[in-house]
Amino acid sequence: MMPIDPTLFTIAAIVLWALGMLLFLIAGERKMVKVLAHASYLAGILVLAVFTWMLWDILGRPPMRTLGETRLWYAMFLPVIGYATYVRWDYSWILHYSGAVAIVFLAINLVYPDNYDRDLMPALQSVWFVPHVIVYIFAYALLAASAIVAVKGLAIQYFGLKWSWSMQLADNLVYLGLGFLTLGLLFGALWGKEAWGHYWMWDPKETWAFLTWIGYLAYIHFRYHKPNKTAEANWILAVAFIILLIAWFGVNYLPSAANSVHTYAQ
Amino acid sequence: MSLNTSANNRAPGAITRKKPVWASPWGYAEGWLICLALLITGTALQLTIGGLNANALSWPVNIITGSIFTAVLIFSWYFLRRLPMVNWLARVPAAITSIALLTFLVLIMGFTLQEDAGNPAWVQQLGLSNMTSSWPFLFGMMFFMASLGMATLKRLTPMKGRNIGFFLNHAGLYIAILGGLLGAADLKRVFFDLTEGEVMWGAVDRDGLYYEMPLAVELERFNMEEFNPKVAIIYNETGRIVPESISQMFEMGKGHRGNLYGWDVEILEFHKMSGRIDGRFEPVIDYGAPPAALVRVTDSGGQQLEGWITSGSFMYPHQLLHVDHELAIAMTIPQASHYSSDVVIYTPDGQVRQARVEVNKPVSVNGWKLYQFSYDDRFGKWSSSSTIEAIRDPWLPVVYTGIFMLIAGSLYLMTLGKAPETEPDDTPALHEAGMPSPDKKNNTPLYVAAPGPDAERALKPVRKPQQEPEFEGVV
Repeated sequence: MMPIDPTLFTIAAIVLWALGMLLFLIAGERKMVKVLAHASYLAGILVLAVFTWMLWDILGRPPMRTLGETRLWYAMFLPVIGYATYVRWDYSWILHYSGAVAIVFLAINLVYPDNYDRDLMPALQSVWFVPHVIVYIFAYALLAASAIVAVKGLAIQYFGLKWSWSMQLADNLVYLGLGFLTLGLLFGALWGKEAWGHYWMWDPKETWAFLTWIGYLAYIHFRYHKPNKTAEANWILAVAFIILLIAWFGVNYLPSAANSVHTYAQ
Repeated sequence: MSLNTSANNRAPGAITRKKPVWASPWGYAEGWLICLALLITGTALQLTIGGLNANALSWPVNIITGSIFTAVLIFSWYFLRRLPMVNWLARVPAAITSIALLTFLVLIMGFTLQEDAGNPAWVQQLGLSNMTSSWPFLFGMMFFMASLGMATLKRLTPMKGRNIGFFLNHAGLYIAILGGLLGAADLKRVFFDLTEGEVMWGAVDRDGLYYEMPLAVELERFNMEEFNPKVAIIYNETGRIVPESISQMFEMGKGHRGNLYGWDVEILEFHKMSGRIDGRFEPVIDYGAPPAALVRVTDSGGQQLEGWITSGSFMYPHQLLHVDHELAIAMTIPQASHYSSDVVIYTPDGQVRQARVEVNKPVSVNGWKLYQFSYDDRFGKWSSSSTIEAIRDPWLPVVYTGIFMLIAGSLYLMTLGKAPETEPDDTPALHEAGMPSPDKKNNTPLYVAAPGPDAERALKPVRKPQQEPEFEGVV
């Protein structure tokens, strides 16, 4: 008996996003179809937001404890960022990309259903919990979008594809993403002082969070100094995102993490 | 053409030749050589005289070291700026190469268990299992901090309003890291092992050394609340939970019902604290009384089985409901939802105060912070002992100054950050007189449109960077 069954909400969000993306593709100049596409895409986000809100309410704790729960927030934020980027800068491909990644993340949660329970270890019961996680997941979503810009750039470079592409978009996403990443890191430090007695302990999760942060730092400095060397910049972005993924999912599997205090995120 | 490289950008006919290494101005080549030299020197020191002593930097050595380091940077910047190295440290090539060196070292740290035990001898000898007290790490940090400090000085004078974001981020990071590195040796962590009713004036550190403390702590009461336990299905033989059923486990509670690994499981009765009477369990309030539940299990064929289960406690054994020769229904051990210690704190000035020390809610007294660290988990909520950790970190205000500057800097970066002019790149090649360096103009292609799937973009105007300044610029 689960307190709430996510299946229906998850499938509804997936279908709405898929439909929205399809409508965007075939809309062309038809106004009505475009409106429907917007509505469907946004409805997917809304369905997931309602589910997350219900889950929070029923569990009586922020649903941010497990990796599955962080995937839920990611799947909600990424389409928000994709949609905002589309509306603001008119890059339609990012809409499809974020929708697709969000669908993949929700599908993972469908295949490996989480055990939503109310248990929340005392160390996580803090006012810092929600801002720390939300800000981090939001940064991850922005930086994922920047990584795909980089991969697209590299593909253009190496396969000689004739696509339009803009480093400016990657820059915008990284600046915003790095801002959120920094806030997440610092909120974590302030929280660590209250919970464990120290703001920085070189716990494996912290070590990898630092690596992620400094990777994006390298990117913005390199871009500032060598604005024309886009291929190298793209490589930095791609590698930084791999480090980000290790920090998020991989740390628990590393030999260095045997004594990590962050292992509740299983 | 789709992507621009600097080669594509070079004016036709411009002849470039490589700048000799160590000729002014320095660039990336010099940076990489410095990294290599620092690594070699650091490793040599590590192998010959061993790792650093973390306590060597205790007060007042740390304040002197930090002041000298910062003073050398300031002096160099204002009086020795003509030296190629000083000028170079303030610029991006030094920033990037020092970031790369630090990344390399921290990456090793990220893959290596930071403990001597369990690591091969050569890893220990190279200091890799104790990275933060190794020579290469110290050198890497010094390089990084020198570059960071010098870059801050470069933008500090002349003071300009638009540099506020840059200053907050760079000076904030410098202050936070310097405070953290120098303060590490002054950080004291000690433990009060408390038993109910006893007053403790002394504490012990991790190595068991006794510390006389400027405060005494008495444990009045240890409190714990628990979440309800869950119902699980386990293997009779090993006592392990069937992995496929983990996502189906559910919380105990009268009337709760769910499917567990193919069985329909219903909780008919649940008592948070119970006592066994004639083969059944009744609610009682007693020392060591465990939770118990009456469960009904129905298999796919409609066969039913009913019985009491309990997780047991340190006083009473657990009880399972065997559903077949292989599997059994079990109650998990309840997880703590809150725990805290009610303490009385005595200080030498004669003051007595009561306080509750709780996880995530430390209590400050006389420059120390008291944290709920652990309890006797054999007894769980009936534990009559509690360990309180006391921490003193006199450098915390310095680090927090840096952290709050960085928070302000990040907000600036996200909302107001405007791109400064790109730093002229005069490092990789010497150009013919009169030829502008290719990177001098910020001529990044914003839209490189070509016939293709997104050809409609070609019709749109090329956007200039000034039009979208929201979050640009190294701030």
